[in-house]
Amino acid sequence: MDFSWDFTAVIQNYPALLKGVGMTALIWSIAFPAAMVMGFAISLGARSRFGWLKALTRVYVEVFRNTPVLIQLIWFFYAFPILTGYQLTPIVAALCGLVLNASAYCSEIFRGGLAAIPNGQWEGAKAIGMGHSQALRRIIVPQVIAKMLPAFTNRGIELAKNTSIASVIAVQELMYQGRALSSAFYRPLEVLTAVAVIYFVLIYPGSYWASRFEKRFALRT
Amino acid sequence: MNYDWDFGAVWEHRDMLLTGAFGTLRIAAVAIIIGVVIGVLLAMMRMSGKAWLSRPALWFTEFYRNTPPLVHFFWAFYGLPVLLGISLDPYAAAIIALSTQSGAFYAEVIRGGVVSIERGQWEGARAIGMGPVQVIWRIVLPQAMQRMLPPFLERSFELIKTTALASTLAYSDLMYMAMQVNSITFRPLEVYTLVAVIFFLTLLSMSLMAHLLEVRLSRSTHQHAG
Repeated sequence: MDFSWDFTAVIQNYPALLKGVGMTALIWSIAFPAAMVMGFAISLGARSRFGWLKALTRVYVEVFRNTPVLIQLIWFFYAFPILTGYQLTPIVAALCGLVLNASAYCSEIFRGGLAAIPNGQWEGAKAIGMGHSQALRRIIVPQVIAKMLPAFTNRGIELAKNTSIASVIAVQELMYQGRALSSAFYRPLEVLTAVAVIYFVLIYPGSYWASRFEKRFALRT
Repeated sequence: MNYDWDFGAVWEHRDMLLTGAFGTLRIAAVAIIIGVVIGVLLAMMRMSGKAWLSRPALWFTEFYRNTPPLVHFFWAFYGLPVLLGISLDPYAAAIIALSTQSGAFYAEVIRGGVVSIERGQWEGARAIGMGPVQVIWRIVLPQAMQRMLPPFLERSFELIKTTALASTLAYSDLMYMAMQVNSITFRPLEVYTLVAVIFFLTLLSMSLMAHLLEVRLSRSTHQHAG
């Protein structure tokens, strides 16, 4: 344990790490909204009257939830081009994998949130004289959001963690920069610890907020 | 889209994929066992009521829950040996990374299960003359176990998926062996699709079994209650 920490390699190369953070943030901020939109569309498919559409969305959700993210990214980068003859850049391949993966989880959150509001809530609102839009705005939406928000925050956190896997297909995000720096300066412990701390600083506020939010709504209901 | 699928070349190297599948099973099983031990220890520290025990346990779980698993793998393989002055092979590093991170999640599962048992259960058991150990063993744990089972299984399935990251340390799991087969056969579409299908069928059948188990358990409690 007579190891002396030396963070000069990290401090001198902070622009590289910062660039990595930028790429991580870019991927996350494209993938998360896209996954939400796709997830919502899929959840509508799951509620549809057509049996084949229901079955299709079920298969989609189960495939993406029951395979490792690493395989999904690698598949889009190495296997998809052979199937279609179209080579994706690392960033696009990573986005494909991450968005499709997260959309499967998001659709389950939407499905659960919509199914969890009993019909009685609508009827009760009407009985006390509320119109449709008033009931939606004051009764239904607040409950749906309260039910779904912690789940979406958790999904956002999982997605942020999954962006690091994009480094495997050479997307130059934070993890990639960390690996490059640690092998260039032979300081793996300091560089990787710094990378871990940066990820923690980026992700922890989200999960802290989610747990606060969950407690507040738990008290109210 | 008129690509001719050809699994023949991949099938010739099925023994490599089988080796990889065993590698995956091996680290998953070992990491779940060690992860549960770490989880129990952390949960006990969290619930000890002593700040010098509960604080470090809280930091540990928060840190592992809020950093990417891939970072844990690289840190355990490249960083930890420098700190300890020893060398770790990919297998040991993967086990360390997987079991510590799953331990952090298991700790929350265990704590959540125990905390969810109402005070009345403790008080009632004390009132009929049970000692604290007896209360935990005979009243709290049997009830908490049942609440812990679904999140515990869910976490374990997550762990099985995460084992694929061990391939980045060149540990010969299913994913790594698939990459090797790909570099021999130049059939990435077939190899990676096959590996995805193997993971899919394994995890789907496991979660179906878990679901059946949960349904059965909740039915048996309702019968006891009624």
